[in-house]
Amino acid sequence: MERWALVSGLRGDLDLYEQIQSDLQKRRGTAHLFVLGDMIGPHPKCDALLKRLRQPKRGDLHPHCIYGWLEEQLLSLYGYRGEAKADELQLQSDDSGVQQLRQAVDTEHLNWLASLQFGLIELDCGLIHGSSADVGDELQETTSPLILLDRLTRLDVNRLFTARSGRQFRLQLTGGQIRSRVKDHASEQLHEQPVPKRSVIGVGSGANYTLYDPASDHIEFLSVASRSGASNRIKGFQR
Amino acid sequence: MTMSHAVISCLHANLAACEAVLADIDQQGIDTITCLGDLVGYGPQPNEVIELVRERSIPTCQGCWDEDIIDGLNACECSYPSQLAERRGHRAHHWAAERITEDNKVFLASLPMTLRRDRLLFVHGSPNSQHEYLLPDMSAFAALERVETAGAETLFCGHTHQPYVRELSEGSIRVSVQTNGNHSDSEQEMTLPMRRIVNAGSVGEPRHGSTKATYVVHDDDSGAVSVREVEYDVSKTCRAIVEAGLPEVFAWRLSHGFEYAERAEDASHVCER
Ligand SMILES: [Zn+2]
Ligand SMILES: [Zn+2]
Repeated sequence: MERWALVSGLRGDLDLYEQIQSDLQKRRGTAHLFVLGDMIGPHPKCDALLKRLRQPKRGDLHPHCIYGWLEEQLLSLYGYRGEAKADELQLQSDDSGVQQLRQAVDTEHLNWLASLQFGLIELDCGLIHGSSADVGDELQETTSPLILLDRLTRLDVNRLFTARSGRQFRLQLTGGQIRSRVKDHASEQLHEQPVPKRSVIGVGSGANYTLYDPASDHIEFLSVASRSGASNRIKGFQR
Repeated sequence: MTMSHAVISCLHANLAACEAVLADIDQQGIDTITCLGDLVGYGPQPNEVIELVRERSIPTCQGCWDEDIIDGLNACECSYPSQLAERRGHRAHHWAAERITEDNKVFLASLPMTLRRDRLLFVHGSPNSQHEYLLPDMSAFAALERVETAGAETLFCGHTHQPYVRELSEGSIRVSVQTNGNHSDSEQEMTLPMRRIVNAGSVGEPRHGSTKATYVVHDDDSGAVSVREVEYDVSKTCRAIVEAGLPEVFAWRLSHGFEYAERAEDASHVCER
């Protein structure tokens, strides 16, 4: 059995990461760890967390990291993404929040962060922080199924694992159809398209993470008790 | 008398085609026209076409070429079918960028991304981008998502140079939701609204298998849409393309009405008509 562990929103909290690692040791049979972005955050141990992710300790399940919304904001602050500003972060936080994030991440990590992929395709699954439409795309179980189906179609995957909303859910498309009539200058075509049997999975954030077994399609939503609580949150960052 | 509304797109600096289409619209007594952009690119008369649109005060949204001419070339490479096509596109871009007057560039820069009239939405490519192609065979759900997310009932677009009317109806999606802490899955069904996508084709660079310029007429009372095809003097524009020193393949393409990405290199039989 080769299960996947899907984690996101560590936000610099090394202790939380260690708790998840030891939780995974206890639950045998987990072979891959995917960290779906928001590794960085205004946390005193952010630097230590990044070092640990880049150079795992012996016994750590090796993490595959992709970048998230916070990484996108930080990289734009440093001019890695177009103009050197992070408008969305400014809007959601304030200048002190932006300063805290900048201070928490040593610049030696910037090139590594910039080298991370936007998403991963494993088997027929897409793993991404938001969606392929936008790293900040907050997909959740209440999002219109039409939008969820669109995000699945854009990546052309059967399962889309997303983290941005922080929610833990699985939404399966189980049925339905649509009729399409296309008329051009020469002909007319009518066809029925069934809803493909696909699903979107919210993996959670921080202490909430998800185990997935690709062989059986079984999902388990888990949580480690957070020792550090909400102390690492800064104003306007809660989701 | 019923109120009708003409929608034109992709004029592409082809003055003869623009004049013929506007004459066809006038002849039907239609005085509301909306333009979906791409006033320039490929063709030999960019300033003349921009000035015609300005003179007639035709509400226009910004096309991919209009955007690129003012922003420098930032079209994503996937809008070209091949590297060769991309190089030709770059040549045409520089040719046009050099010739379009500052005043006309300011006009292109001022064009909005979208225009709206009640529940009708007008865009060049898609509501997301001037560069996105809404092809007639794209997933019906994804197509509906574009219209619905933009809050429209009928979406008018261009950019593909192939006119079509697509009606999306009788849609529904059933879902089953499982959340953390809630062990029984909940089932829901969403009924999808009826929506339409109308592609206006291309006035100045048709690629629908005929050399005729295309545009669409929307009947504002009944909602009916018809695709119009208009003959114009293709050879006149082809000659102007060659004389201007633009890639001859553009003339070849106009005289065939097809997009032959690579075979188009063989431009030996330009405009024999
Ligand atoms: Zn065009
Ligand atoms: Zn275009």
